[in-house]
Amino acid sequence: MKINIKGLILNTFKESARNKMFYLLIFFGILFALSSKLISFLTLGDAMKVLKDTGLAAINFFCVLIAIFTGINLVYKEVEKKTIFNILSKPVTRGHFIIGKFFGLALTMLLALAAMAVIFFLLVFLVGGGFDLKILLYFFMLYLELLIIVAISLLFSSFSTPILSFIFTVSLYLIGHIMWTFNEFKMLLQSKLWIKFAQFLYYIMPNLDKFNIKNDVVLDLPLQATTILFSVLYALVYILALLTVTVMIFRRREFI
Amino acid sequence: MRILEITNLKKTFHSNFLIKKYRILKGIDISVEAGEIYGFLGPNGAGKTTTIKCIMGLLFPDEGEILINGRPADTIDARRPIGFLPENPYFYDYLNANELLNFSASLYSIPAAAARERIDRLIQQVGLAGFERLKLRKFSKGMTQRLGMAQALIQDPDFLILDEPFSGLDPIGRKEFRDLILNLKEQGKTIFFSSHILQDMEMMVDRVGIIINGKISRQGKLSELIAGSTRCHEIVCSQISEKQLALIHPNFVRRDNQYIITLDNEAEINLVVESIIHNNGLVIAVNPVKKTLEDIFLNEIGEVQ
Amino acid sequence: MKGKLPAVAFMCLLLLAAFFQNRYDATIDYFGDRSVFVSLPSGQSLRILSFGFQNFAADMLFIWSIQFYSTYNLVNRFDYLERVYDTITDITPLYKEPYIIGALIMVFEAQDIPMALRLLEKGSRQIKDEWFFDHEAGYYCYKYLKNYEKAKEYYTRAAAKPNAPSFVKRMKAHMVYLHDDPRVAYRMWLDIYRQAANRVEKDAAFNHLYQIKAELDLPVIRQAIDSFRTRFRRFPVNLAELVSRSTVREIPLDFSGKDYIYDPNLGTVKAQRLFKWKQR
Repeated sequence: MKINIKGLILNTFKESARNKMFYLLIFFGILFALSSKLISFLTLGDAMKVLKDTGLAAINFFCVLIAIFTGINLVYKEVEKKTIFNILSKPVTRGHFIIGKFFGLALTMLLALAAMAVIFFLLVFLVGGGFDLKILLYFFMLYLELLIIVAISLLFSSFSTPILSFIFTVSLYLIGHIMWTFNEFKMLLQSKLWIKFAQFLYYIMPNLDKFNIKNDVVLDLPLQATTILFSVLYALVYILALLTVTVMIFRRREFI
Repeated sequence: MRILEITNLKKTFHSNFLIKKYRILKGIDISVEAGEIYGFLGPNGAGKTTTIKCIMGLLFPDEGEILINGRPADTIDARRPIGFLPENPYFYDYLNANELLNFSASLYSIPAAAARERIDRLIQQVGLAGFERLKLRKFSKGMTQRLGMAQALIQDPDFLILDEPFSGLDPIGRKEFRDLILNLKEQGKTIFFSSHILQDMEMMVDRVGIIINGKISRQGKLSELIAGSTRCHEIVCSQISEKQLALIHPNFVRRDNQYIITLDNEAEINLVVESIIHNNGLVIAVNPVKKTLEDIFLNEIGEVQ
Repeated sequence: MKGKLPAVAFMCLLLLAAFFQNRYDATIDYFGDRSVFVSLPSGQSLRILSFGFQNFAADMLFIWSIQFYSTYNLVNRFDYLERVYDTITDITPLYKEPYIIGALIMVFEAQDIPMALRLLEKGSRQIKDEWFFDHEAGYYCYKYLKNYEKAKEYYTRAAAKPNAPSFVKRMKAHMVYLHDDPRVAYRMWLDIYRQAANRVEKDAAFNHLYQIKAELDLPVIRQAIDSFRTRFRRFPVNLAELVSRSTVREIPLDFSGKDYIYDPNLGTVKAQRLFKWKQR
């Protein structure tokens, strides 16, 4: 059984890379990253900090937008335009298809993030800052987060329309970023059952704030190696879980 | 050897919330022998495409068995030797023809050099030479159909499943496609195609299966189905008034100056011809009318309804 | 391939993810020792609602506040000053600039020094190793409130921070001098004098030591002269006579080891050099 997923990956990559939306979002990301220079003029004191904050926030925001918009469309479009018939009638399983899509998207996100990161480092360099390895670490963590978002949007796009997928994915993204407050609120819950339920949600929902180390990186706070390690492991396992359930759902789909 | 064998295939669709059931396939039995051209004939909505999608694993049958070369159809290895052209195919409009065929080749893990050679030949074969670099969004329906044929042939399949291959083609395109399919048959390939265009069918197929309302109502060799029997006879005559003709035989139509009389019974021919001559009419021709696929088809539909 | 395997794999992966989440939580102190909020005050709620963009949110608020508070024609613009900076520093407690700039605005624009002190104290609580907040607070107490006791407290804290520059210690010694016992201050200055790393530090410490010593010695000598005069109805010829007539046991020298200057005609004694700016 010899299957070439490379073709699927590259085709997915081509599809998103030949989409005008993709370039528009990258363009805006870079534009906002550059505008951080202007914003940093307005502050007092450490202008470099504001520049980094604003630049990283812009990159983060637009990368997430790209991840969601490309992720929710890809599978849906294939099914809607029936191009998927030409793929699934070839020796390609549904699982291959989903995995090909995922890695194609991963490649796309890598390109988008790399483009923005290069511009960011260039800007920092031109303003007089040095190369900070920690910021590279942040980009890595952001990439992991983007992969989770891509997997989430792929999951929803495997069974629902882009609009619904968008709403679901954005909701999960937002939930994922306030999940950490559970640690604070759990004592407010009175009944044991509620606590158990909340705990259950806490552990199955995507917990995305752990990848958000941009604030720590800019302020140069110490980062523990174990914290990073568990974040990375979490991302890998969570992505695998998402892909598994996506394949499970997708296998049951019929294409009328 | 049977390359495709479908037994008792059933498929039901549900409307939203499972309120209404639509029984599309009500027990289909089809068998396709290696090396033949099998025509899958049926009116719109009879279940042709549904059957084909079940074969290709795009739909899951409720009941029944589909075997390809004796193996269950729902494995990717079973699908490997099949070339498939979907109904009204659509391809990624951001690619060009060459890229699309390369993508298809990559799904079969065809090495790059072999793929390049094969793609060049296929593009010639389906008549897309000169359009290799054109983006697919600028393709016409006929061109897309040709490209669909090329991608179905990419891995040099033994068995071709074509869903409405002639739709969207002009007469020249149809002729080319027909020649291509006959050529493939000569190479020893098996072709299973659906169509509602009887003319194309009649010119090519070895066997037909007629599907009506989710059931195979007739299946067999085309030559056997339309064997021998002359359906009726036509007598063409002129220089005779309608009044007189109505007395001789009531079943006639007028075409220009001529009248055509249709006779179901052979024994009546002599009598009618004599009567015309007797009335100073001119008998131009007496033609036997052979049974066609259309007759069989219409007959079947009539019977079912 | 089909069947239960994917479902089982999915459950296992989810469990594993939960495990890593749990391990991750163990390495993180989500709220530090900051007060645990239960009723969600505005700064903390903003921090949650920023969905991970809290630095950006804080920057925007900070930049806005700078523009706002430097627009001089607005009336009542200081009404929510403390609230604004409280919010900024709640969102990113470890961002230094807002504490300092906020305090500057509070002192120089709003002229509310206690408010500035509250903000700086918050900064000192959040960023434990930073000496600058206590220094600023101490300076405002010293300069504007003339509250040397409080200034001393702030400088004592600032001087204890690991990276505090040497001048903080000198300020601390000076505050001790201003607030309470000059003798304690003298000992502090002596330490500083001995550990001085460069000429400037040494000179500064010397000046202070000279001043304090003179301030402590001169009243003693003056009292000795007074009691000499009541006993002998004249001023001593020189300071040595005070010892020989055993009014005092010994005459102290100034910090540079020289005699204090004595005028036998007027009976006054003074140090060779005294600085106006050091006088109380």
